[in-house]
Amino acid sequence: MAKLAIIQPDNVSADEDRILRVWTPVLLRTIVLISMASLILGLIMTALYTPSHFVERYHQVQLGHLIGKQSLTTIASKVMSGEPRAILMMGLFLLTLVPLVRVAFCLGLYLKARDYAFVGFTAYVLIALVLGAMLGRIG
Amino acid sequence: MLVILSGLLLLATGAGFVGAISGLGGGMFIVPALVVLAKMPMRVAVGASLISVVATSAGASVAFVRDGWTNLKVAMVLECATVTGAIVGAFMAGLVPTYVLEGLFALMMLQSAFFSITKHEETVLAKGGPIARKLRLAGDVPDAYGHPQHYEVINVRYGGPLMLVAGVMSGLLGVGSGALKVIAMDQVMHIPLKVSSATSNFMIGVTAGAGALVFLSRGDVSTTIAAPVAVGVTIGAFVGSRFLPKLKVQHMRTAFAAILLLIALEMGWRAINGI
Repeated sequence: MAKLAIIQPDNVSADEDRILRVWTPVLLRTIVLISMASLILGLIMTALYTPSHFVERYHQVQLGHLIGKQSLTTIASKVMSGEPRAILMMGLFLLTLVPLVRVAFCLGLYLKARDYAFVGFTAYVLIALVLGAMLGRIG
Repeated sequence: MLVILSGLLLLATGAGFVGAISGLGGGMFIVPALVVLAKMPMRVAVGASLISVVATSAGASVAFVRDGWTNLKVAMVLECATVTGAIVGAFMAGLVPTYVLEGLFALMMLQSAFFSITKHEETVLAKGGPIARKLRLAGDVPDAYGHPQHYEVINVRYGGPLMLVAGVMSGLLGVGSGALKVIAMDQVMHIPLKVSSATSNFMIGVTAGAGALVFLSRGDVSTTIAAPVAVGVTIGAFVGSRFLPKLKVQHMRTAFAAILLLIALEMGWRAINGI
């Protein structure tokens, strides 16, 4: 794929753009790789240690029976004790952190560059993401 | 267990592969696959799909961002609308009857089928709209000879509401709504098609992430389903993106449209039966 010459109207914007284009892919790729490793590890551990539980859960989910909300501290303590399902949940949580981390990174960069219009846009997205997660726990 | 796990991985890998080579994303295929073939409830399929969309968007957008095809500023502005829509959609998903979701999914498939066979050449504008100029949303694309060609952006105020709808559909149905996003950027805001596709791919991750966070924190995500689906779709999308340059996708558009129409018929039939 051809690379484009990034022409921006001023130096501050060009700097922001360059840093974003170098570091955003690194951030995205790193978190996805870590979460994929957690998911694969969790699936292997499930196959080795709790295969019957997996089958039982599969049929319960088909009937619409979900386990429901779990606190992050509960999941963390279960991960520490090596429970396969908790490791899977950690991998899924890590994946959903990808957009949060990416937007937080952009917010920091725009704050540093004092590009206040884009500080506003990214702050709005970040707050909406956090608020959505919090309201999900309540609702 | 291995039969079920292999089945889910295979289903998800296939959905991710077809989603990548068709350019429509894994979500369009994994939701109906889980509902129709694995007999999963719609909300379970939507929750699992949203998480897998985050992973595939992150993987697919890396090259576009690095090589300068993604218009990051346009993405940041429009994400305000898509994220708001996705959160509203994710909350609505818990309240809307299943047959309505299936009916909406069928309509979304029809829209994507139409979009996949009616892609047109890009138009590059020389003068931007007032909001776009103020926010410095313009960028550059290579022309036929590979030289940078400047493009401007217009109609940001009309692109926003369309993005809101794309977000609601994403949160409701577990898809990336890429086709809707590209239409808003390409046809309404006059951003060149390739930049629109790359920017849409980048935005899909945050849009789906907003919905996924609501589903996950509400306890509507089953690790039993979502974990193999996320792994499978990501592998499928990765393999698909490697195959893409070798395939004559132009010739396959009709086949994709036919598959989408078949799925739309199945989902529409389920919706009618559910009323």
